[in-house]
Amino acid sequence: MRKNQIVAAVTAITLGAALASSPAAFADEAFRTLDEIKESGTINIGVFSDKSPFGYVDENGDYQGYDVYLAERLGEDLGVDINYVSTEAANRIEYLQTGKVDIILANFTVTEERAEEVDFALPYMNVALGVVSPEDAVIESLDDIGEDDQVIVISGTTAETYLVKNNPEIKLQKYDAYAEAKTAFENGNGVAWANDNTEVIAFSIENEGYVVGIPSLGSADTIAPAVTKGNETLLNWINDEIVALGEENFFHADYEATLLDTYGADYEDTLVIEGGVAAGAETEAE
Amino acid sequence: MDIEVIRSYIPLYRDALLLTLRIGWQGVLWAFVIGLVCTLIRQLRIPVLRQLVTVYVELFRNTPLLVQLFFMYFALPKIGIRISAEVCGSLGLGLLGGAYMAETFRSGLDNIAPIQEESALSLGMSYLQAFRYVILPQAVTASMPGIVANVIFLLKETSVFSVISLMDLMFTAKDLIGMYAKTIECLTLLVVFYLIMLLPVSLLGSLLERRMRRAEFGN
Amino acid sequence: MQSLGIDVLFKGTNFLRLLEGLWVAVRISLISVAISIVLGILVGILMTSRNMAVKAIFRVYLEIVRIMPQMVLLFIVYFGTTRVFGWDLEAETAAIIVFVFWGTAEMGDLVRGALISIPKIQYESAAALGMSRGMAFRYVILPQTIRRLIPLSINLITRMIKTTSLVMMIGIVEVLKVGQQIIEANRKVSPNAAFGVFAVIFLMYFLICWPVSRLAVWLEKKWA
Repeated sequence: MRKNQIVAAVTAITLGAALASSPAAFADEAFRTLDEIKESGTINIGVFSDKSPFGYVDENGDYQGYDVYLAERLGEDLGVDINYVSTEAANRIEYLQTGKVDIILANFTVTEERAEEVDFALPYMNVALGVVSPEDAVIESLDDIGEDDQVIVISGTTAETYLVKNNPEIKLQKYDAYAEAKTAFENGNGVAWANDNTEVIAFSIENEGYVVGIPSLGSADTIAPAVTKGNETLLNWINDEIVALGEENFFHADYEATLLDTYGADYEDTLVIEGGVAAGAETEAE
Repeated sequence: MDIEVIRSYIPLYRDALLLTLRIGWQGVLWAFVIGLVCTLIRQLRIPVLRQLVTVYVELFRNTPLLVQLFFMYFALPKIGIRISAEVCGSLGLGLLGGAYMAETFRSGLDNIAPIQEESALSLGMSYLQAFRYVILPQAVTASMPGIVANVIFLLKETSVFSVISLMDLMFTAKDLIGMYAKTIECLTLLVVFYLIMLLPVSLLGSLLERRMRRAEFGN
Repeated sequence: MQSLGIDVLFKGTNFLRLLEGLWVAVRISLISVAISIVLGILVGILMTSRNMAVKAIFRVYLEIVRIMPQMVLLFIVYFGTTRVFGWDLEAETAAIIVFVFWGTAEMGDLVRGALISIPKIQYESAAALGMSRGMAFRYVILPQTIRRLIPLSINLITRMIKTTSLVMMIGIVEVLKVGQQIIEANRKVSPNAAFGVFAVIFLMYFLICWPVSRLAVWLEKKWA
């Protein structure tokens, strides 16, 4: 007994040390193939739980939103149950790389840096960055932001990466979660909030007194499902599925079910990508 | 592990360490002040205030700092009370720590025989003088290990500051992982920097503890 | 000023979900404390050993627990182990491992303290009465130790419940996360919901932890 205890203690203690010293990250095979998922009968999908109208939880505890609408369909067509995992922006890559989820459907913007870490499927939504500010002090260009002003961003989003890279002089106020960032913005803790333009537009429509002064910043990007790097069987299945869904205009139906209330009909064609074919995909700047 | 990555992250962690230390020590200072005021109120048996102190101590010892910060930072502005993130961090830490310190000081005071106070009074000292010159020094010495444990506890609690947008060590690590996914490097640096910050405090604490045997671990 | 969001709590199953979230927190801490007590007693007995190597190992272990924020340990266990060892832990399992790692150290230290604080004369008296070492331990030392430990371990429960508030950071949907979801889902209709929701969560934690910590104080006085 004594020996075991010591062994247990030593193991526990070395946990920290091993992490620091072991260079090997041999968890690359952490993903489950399409067949393994089907066999288990459950798929783990990472979504936002506090980002309405894309991924949120309604008052009955059910996941809802544009991303979730797609997730539900994927689960149905795979013939498996869905286990939703609530993610934050900053750990989406982490969840995939550690195999804790099979797919991320959390409004995940495709970027070069991220594509090195995870595999993106075909896109299903257009996005750029946007900046929203109170209507009595509208920020219409990044030059309007004063030296001491703070701009709210969410840790791990493309808005953060973009501003850190291109405008390092702007002071950022970072938050873990959407709910925290929005409440802080409402409370007047920052002069503006930079995020996906879809998100800030939705915020300005849903909340009185806010204007999207910068509707489009940086390059035109897309949002797509992501899987763990190398999980080809699952990736191919999702790609085929997205193409097939295009034939029934699935994503327009998704928009009408989840986003119409917020955005109205005006944004339908600018936001939705049907069948994985982004309009300006190849012509984007930079 | 990528040494270049580590090297490029070190300045960010250093900034985070400085911020953590700055706000952490401000919080510890607040904790001492609040703890002492509470102890004084209790010792002098000031009516009403004494009951308020009890309510405060119980309320803050029985709720998580995270929830306290959420309330101070996100909920209070809804009724018009706006506090900046830094003040919120140090004041929140101070309020939490004050409640812990008050309890630690109290148990330190409980150790002092009543005859000491009586002797001081019979020597012609006023109550405040007796408290200041006789009781307080002994009480502080007796509660030293508890105080050190509280200080370490408070500095560790800074790890929840990410929720109020303060770039402490923990948030810096999380943020970098979110942007560049160098998990192992980030977590290693995180551990190293916490060691740099807290190992000296902890060793000092153990030293004091060995001198005066009577610890009150964290609580 | 609009309503402060109390009404939002009673929409749909919101309040029930908050309670469920609270139960997740309480469940994690109860399981962790139970395991910590058992392991802590074993570790505590081992810590009284005079073997230098054993002493050194436990010294390092205690120091790690004392210095590292639980938040850091949670991240290391949840994300780090998967990276390094390829273990795929559920978030809740990761949380329990971290809490047990922490709880065992504290319990162990308390057990050690309780054991060495029992005067030598008790062992000697027991021996004089003809008890074997095992019997002395079982009938004399252990009951006293346990009496001292119960209030302290109850204290540990409240501290663990409080610390469970951190597990939302590794994706466990507990009471705080549910609170955020409720605030988010109702931002349009009740922009001040943050006040009501966070106030209620604050009170919930208090209502759970306060009676438990009073119980610990009461037992401590009673058995002192």
